[in-house]
Amino acid sequence: MTTEQQSIPSGRASRVTALAGAGAKVGVNYLKHYGKRAVGAGADHEALDEANAGAIYDTFSKLKGGPLKFAQMLSIDRNILPEAYRKQFAQAQYSAPPLSYPLVVRTFKREFGKEPLAIFDSFTRSAVHGASIGQVHRATIGEQTFAVKVQYPGVADSLDSDLAVVKPVALQILGLKSTEVGPYFEEVRERLLEETNYTLELERSMALSKATSEKIGGIRFPEYYPEYSNRRVLTMDWIDGQPLDCYAAAETDQDRRNAVGQAIWDFYHFQIHQLKQFHADPHPGNFLVDEQGQVVVLDFGCTKQIDEEFHHDYFRFLDPEVVEDEAAFIEALETLDIISPEDSPRDRELIIEGARRGTRLLGKPFHEGSFDFADDSYMASIFEMGEEQRRNQDFRDVRTARGSADSIYLNRAYFGLYSLMGLLKAKIEARRDVV
Amino acid sequence: MERSEIIGRYQHYVLEHGTPPPSVYAFAKDLGLGEREFFEQFGSFEALESSFWESTVRETLDAIRSEEDWAGFNAHQCLLTFLYAYCDRTLDQRSFFLARFPRWKKSCRQPPEGLCGMRSAFTEFADEILEKGMSNGEVACRGAMTRTYPLGLFGHFLSVVEFNLADDSSGFERTDAYIEKSVRLAFDVIGTQAVDSAFDLFRFLSGRSWAKAD
Repeated sequence: MTTEQQSIPSGRASRVTALAGAGAKVGVNYLKHYGKRAVGAGADHEALDEANAGAIYDTFSKLKGGPLKFAQMLSIDRNILPEAYRKQFAQAQYSAPPLSYPLVVRTFKREFGKEPLAIFDSFTRSAVHGASIGQVHRATIGEQTFAVKVQYPGVADSLDSDLAVVKPVALQILGLKSTEVGPYFEEVRERLLEETNYTLELERSMALSKATSEKIGGIRFPEYYPEYSNRRVLTMDWIDGQPLDCYAAAETDQDRRNAVGQAIWDFYHFQIHQLKQFHADPHPGNFLVDEQGQVVVLDFGCTKQIDEEFHHDYFRFLDPEVVEDEAAFIEALETLDIISPEDSPRDRELIIEGARRGTRLLGKPFHEGSFDFADDSYMASIFEMGEEQRRNQDFRDVRTARGSADSIYLNRAYFGLYSLMGLLKAKIEARRDVV
Repeated sequence: MERSEIIGRYQHYVLEHGTPPPSVYAFAKDLGLGEREFFEQFGSFEALESSFWESTVRETLDAIRSEEDWAGFNAHQCLLTFLYAYCDRTLDQRSFFLARFPRWKKSCRQPPEGLCGMRSAFTEFADEILEKGMSNGEVACRGAMTRTYPLGLFGHFLSVVEFNLADDSSGFERTDAYIEKSVRLAFDVIGTQAVDSAFDLFRFLSGRSWAKAD
């Protein structure tokens, strides 16, 4: 085992602490707010909201190489709510202490009818590192080494109660009402529930890696072992490599960084455009870079399927002609439910204007073709735009969750992808045709 | 007729009829025995059940002690292994457990009757693992209070059985989670100095305020 692999959990743990910090600060800001009101100083909602946004952004900006630049995402797209859920949910799981060895044995006995050592020649007694809803042990048979992911018991059963705990916190952080977010909530719940089914993850991993590996250069996948896997245990090859965030921090050769970035970029676009099913969890912990500079993709727990129609409606926004043509743009927004006929003319104008700016900014890499993510000012301008919208009172008055629930994970994949590119400071051929 | 066979037939009767047999006479007749032969083995149906509950603990212990990992386990792992194995074992007789396992009554602070044998089988095991825990530092030695641990662990064990019998999650995974979490908490409480420190601080602060009041 390399030290890099050991560093995954500590990296995640510190991210979690950072997230918890944001929660605590929001709490303190509310306390201050209610304190003020109690002494009759006059409630200042504006200040409260700004203080909260500030606290959240401070914290998230510290998550260098973090899963997603949450604050940026929060500011651009109010569909962010699910991510808050996910974080909170993940946090609840991360903070769970590791499974004891007797429980791992118990899980094996229940699922395979035998102990780990009846299957493997060796099996580590304690976890090598944590996964979001389980932990990874290293095992061997003869010369072969495996990574065995074991799920915490009862995660699927307690999903609803966990979400119920997280829901008010997420709503409070985002200032949304629970009635507005029903469909989003359902979408997230469904994806999370899928993540608890390792059998499904195994099937998807095998299918997606088979469909992708020969088409896209620079990407490889671990081999999966159905005979040693079931709904609670997932076995794959143990691969030595550096997690992407460590790689990004250590690699000095720009060409190699570009190659790694391009491989990930192509991998995503191949999945989104050709397979219409994609790995919806692009955070650095899910990628390793091996000694040959190939990117190893791990963890297909969260994949999202999109249909032809949604694909068409969504990617229309990348066509400069649609963005610049008033009528076409409005029609495109309407098909995705971003504006609706019930909106007041003022709200409508505001949303259209905001969406146009957002589309131009976010579509920039595609419009320019070759794009350099090392340019910090691009990521900064994305954040600024969102921040401006947040502070704009008019904009906040129309605060309801908008857009099709399908777009949640596609947005998430894109924001994740952009932040991975930013992390790698990679120069990308954005419009390259993938197979 | 062997004791185990009588117990098996008794369980069968209870599960088929929903109640214990009306009398030893009727039950013995069913078995093709005289009453004398029944009473040579068990003093009553209650004694029969009690002996069955005890045997579940003893048999589980025999099974886990023969596993190769056992000797290397610390107290925490020993207790977990026992509880997982016990819950697994109850699966074969879950219906009988559901029908007949003595439950705590809300009004009653005493453990349910009929579990004396089970309790002594368990507390012998608890003594053994606590001793192991004290020698390797997992369990803090707290004088007289330490002597209450075995019964405390027995209470926890009963709560696990109750939890398991009420659990309807798939594969009883929630029971696994309950065992994992509650045993960790139990060992945190009996294992660290936190409780002693809290008590010490409390005594210090309250002593001070009493002194002021005087």
